[in-house]
Parts: sequence; structure tokens; C-alpha cells
Amino acid sequence: MIQDTKKNAIVTNRDAPAQFVRASDVNKHRERFFELLSPASGRQTVVLGLLGAAIFFALWETAHYMTAEEGRRFLPSVEQVLGELIYLFAEKDFIYDVLRSCARIFGSFFAASAVAIPLGILMGCFGKFKALVNPTVSGWRYLPAASFIPLLLVWFGPSETAKMGLLFLGVLFFLIAMVLDNTEAVQRELTEAALTMGASRKRIVLEVVVPAAMPAIIDSMRTMIAVGWTYLVIAEIVGASDGIGAVMMRAGRFLNVDTIMAGIFMIGVLGVLTDIGFRIVQRLLFPWNIKKKV
Amino acid sequence: MNDALQQPAVAARDITKQYVNGTFTALQDVSVDIHEGEVVAFIGPSGCGKTTMLRLISGLELPTRGKLATFGQPINGPGPDRGMIFQAYTSFPWLTAKKNIEYGMKIMGVPKAERAKTADEFLKLVHLDKFADSYPNSLSGGMKQRVAIARTLAQNPRIILMDEPFGALDAQVRWEMQEMMIEVIEREKKTVVVVTHDIEEAIYLADRIIFFTRNPGRIKEDIPLEFKKGQRFLRKEEMFDQDGYAQLERKLFAMMREEIVAADAA
Repeated sequence: MIQDTKKNAIVTNRDAPAQFVRASDVNKHRERFFELLSPASGRQTVVLGLLGAAIFFALWETAHYMTAEEGRRFLPSVEQVLGELIYLFAEKDFIYDVLRSCARIFGSFFAASAVAIPLGILMGCFGKFKALVNPTVSGWRYLPAASFIPLLLVWFGPSETAKMGLLFLGVLFFLIAMVLDNTEAVQRELTEAALTMGASRKRIVLEVVVPAAMPAIIDSMRTMIAVGWTYLVIAEIVGASDGIGAVMMRAGRFLNVDTIMAGIFMIGVLGVLTDIGFRIVQRLLFPWNIKKKV
Repeated sequence: MNDALQQPAVAARDITKQYVNGTFTALQDVSVDIHEGEVVAFIGPSGCGKTTMLRLISGLELPTRGKLATFGQPINGPGPDRGMIFQAYTSFPWLTAKKNIEYGMKIMGVPKAERAKTADEFLKLVHLDKFADSYPNSLSGGMKQRVAIARTLAQNPRIILMDEPFGALDAQVRWEMQEMMIEVIEREKKTVVVVTHDIEEAIYLADRIIFFTRNPGRIKEDIPLEFKKGQRFLRKEEMFDQDGYAQLERKLFAMMREEIVAADAA
């Protein structure tokens, strides 16, 4: 008991002199790491994010040095991979491959969007059109995109069309389903309010449903372009002589693990940049969607 | 006298509405006339068809059987002559308060300059003139609802239909909105039909209360608010002082309880 009071600072309350208040009795905010309903602050997000990355690279580095000398070339260190990446850009015109890959991804993705977005919106607006199209379109989602490679090769040969075709098919059917969901999620009363105002169907689709669904659709696009990036290497196996995937496949033949890992790293960086790009576009296009209180 | 002027704002004859291929009857043989300039409240227990009746008048749904007309014209679908205000917030989040109010007029082909002028006028009427350029996401629930009310009024409809318009608002805001609505009704001289489950709100807003009963939905009683002697009170507390107010509220509560007891027994 005596020890206990010694351990804790004693704070006397002047209004109630008979009462001793121990520091441990005072309400204080104890911040726990695993706290429910407690999102990280802006600063914590940055610090913890960097910490997570640092832990990952530290583990990688440790694994490299724990590997036996003769096996280390199969698990190169962080600095070897980054060095290889710089070498690829400086000496091997890697920027050309990166740009080719980007052009394939964005070209095929925007082609898929140009088909999926109108189709999804029309299905979401008109129940009978959905009944006509959706069953046929849904089935395609279950087919692995890679299974189209032989078919695309027979039809188009090892051409640009075949690669773009694979990337296109890989995202198209998922994007249709997601846009359909986004459109159907538009609050019913918005459409009903426009109907009672006497708006035509064309007006309601273009001036009510489309703006209402657009932020969610851009979100779906952001998710699906990530899937596009995951198909990139598969697409560039199909007889490609350029692109990040082709560089990686060539390196694989010579067991150049550092080049392969540099390619993986590059795709990761491009993916993150694409994601950030979509978020910026979303903020610029839909300033009204940002919640703020008066 | 022009014939159209003598036509009731809403004339319903033997309206029946069934759902799910006739297995559920929401309304059965409902007949009612609502006259121009009247403010009518539909009340009743959940599932009594009061919202269905409002939606039939709006034209968002069509009756299974029966005749429904507004000012002598059969109702075949929605139109800007019958403006509707929903419980859910329907101000468009991508348009500012002012552009929202202009939108209804844009649909009707009102010229741009006139739209802006009328929108300013109605922003003032619903006390939102300071928030003309605010987006709904930065407005409170009550303010969003006022945008929707102003948007409807700006189309100059002959009838205003309100489906639990203040149901999502907290008590104080609800009360402010009710008083604002009286101000608007007095100024605009509109025919109003309001669906509510709030007995006090019904008595305060309406000139006439239509009480619906359930299973199947039909009218139980058509109650004129005689105690008001044709007055509308800009301040809600003035209503409580009137002779007959307490008796009417008591009667409506008793009717509602009877409905709830019947529903529990069934």
C-alpha cells in the first residue's frame, strides 16, 4: 500500500483536502496500437506506412545475407535490384519498354472502359436490357483470361492486337459487372424525383444516373486497371520483343533474377502511380463528393 | 365558369392497388376528392397504403383498378404539375443548391436568366440565400430537404406531394421545417398532400386528415380540422392553445392504438 503510493505521483485536490488522488486514478487517454474505431492520424499513416515498407526491405535484405553464398544470385539484395533497375534505364533503354507496357495497359483498358461503362449503365437503368444482355455477359467472367491466349494467337498471331486483346478481355467483363452494380446502387429516389419533375428518360440517364454513379465507376476503374497490370506479363509473353514483361521473360532464360525482380518492382511502382493518378482525377472531377460540414 | 376550375385537384374513384401478381392488396376501393388549395394529411399505421396512395397520385405507380384524375385529367404517369418531396434527400449532390433549384425549371425549358432569378427568389423563401453556391454534401439534412422543397416549388406545380418529408430530421429541425412549410403554403396557395406518421405534424399542417386502415388499405375516416376555423398557425404553439386541439390529438392517438392492437392480434 505504502509502496503503491510512492510509485504513483500524488496529486492533492485543494477543494477536498481529505482526499488523495493518485495519478493512476486520473482519466487519461492511453493510446493502444490495436484500438477499435480509431483510424490512424495523417502523420501516423505516413510513419506507419514507411515503417511497414522498411520492415519488408529489412526482411528481404536479411534473407539475402542468410542465403548461402552460391545461392545468393537467386535472391539478390535490395541494392542489387535497385542497381539493376538504374542500369536498365541508363544502359538498356528500359524507358522504352516501360512506355510500351503503359501504352498497352492504358490503350486496352480505355477500350474496355468505352465498352463496359455504357453497357453497364444501360443495364443498370433498364431492367429488360439487363435481362437481355447480363446472362450472356456474366458467364465470361468465369473464364480465365489466359485461356484465350491460344485463340488470340491463332486469330491475330504474335501481334500487338493479340496482346491488347488479352488485356481487354481480362478486364472487360469484370468492369461491366462492376459498372452495373454502381449504376444500380444509385439512390432510387434520385431517379423518381427526376421523373416527378417531368424529365425525359434520356435526361435522367445522362443528367441524373451518370453523374450520381460516376464517382463509384471511377473507383471501379481504379480497381480494374490494377487487374490489368497483373495481366501485363502474361500478355507480353505472347511473342513480345518489347515491354516490361518481355524484358523479364528474356532475363528468366539467363537466370538473371535481379532483372526479373527489377521488372516486378517497376510494375509495382507503375501500379501505385496509376492508383494515385485515379484518386487525383476523382478529386478534381467530383469536388462535390467530398464531405465537409458547415 | 371554366369547367376545369370546378374539377377537384385529385379525384380518386374505387382505386385498388395490388402487388406481386395480385397476392398483396395495398389499397382496396379507395375513393376520395381533394380540392384545390386544400392541405390534406394521410395518416395511419404502417402498411395502410397511405404512401401507395401518394405514389399513385404522383404517377410513379399506376392503380390496378379504378379511376384517378388531377383537375379532370387522367393520371398516366408523373409530371411537373405534381411535384413530389421524398423522405430521402433527393437534392442532386453534384449541383449547388441554386443549380438544384434551377434544374426543374431547366427541364421545363425556362430560359436561363429567368431560371437564375426564380431560383434566387425560392432560395430566399426557404432561408437558404446564403448557401446558393454550396453543394448538398456540405449542407445539413434540413437544408438538403429545403433545397428539394424549393426545387419543387420553382416548377410551380399545382399539387405538392410530400412523403414523410421530415421523417429523417431531428425533432427541432422537424419543427422548424413544419413552420417553414406553413409559411410556404400560405404564400404559394398550393394544394398539398402530405403523408406522415406524426399525428402532431398532421394536425399542424393539414386542413383535413384522412386516416387509413390496413389489411387491406382503405380510408377509415375523413376528418376535417374544424377546431382551426380555417386558420393556419405560423407558430406551432398557437395551435396548442386552441379549443378542440387536445381532443383531436387524443382521438387520433386512440384510433392509431386501435389499429396497432388489431395488427398485433392478427
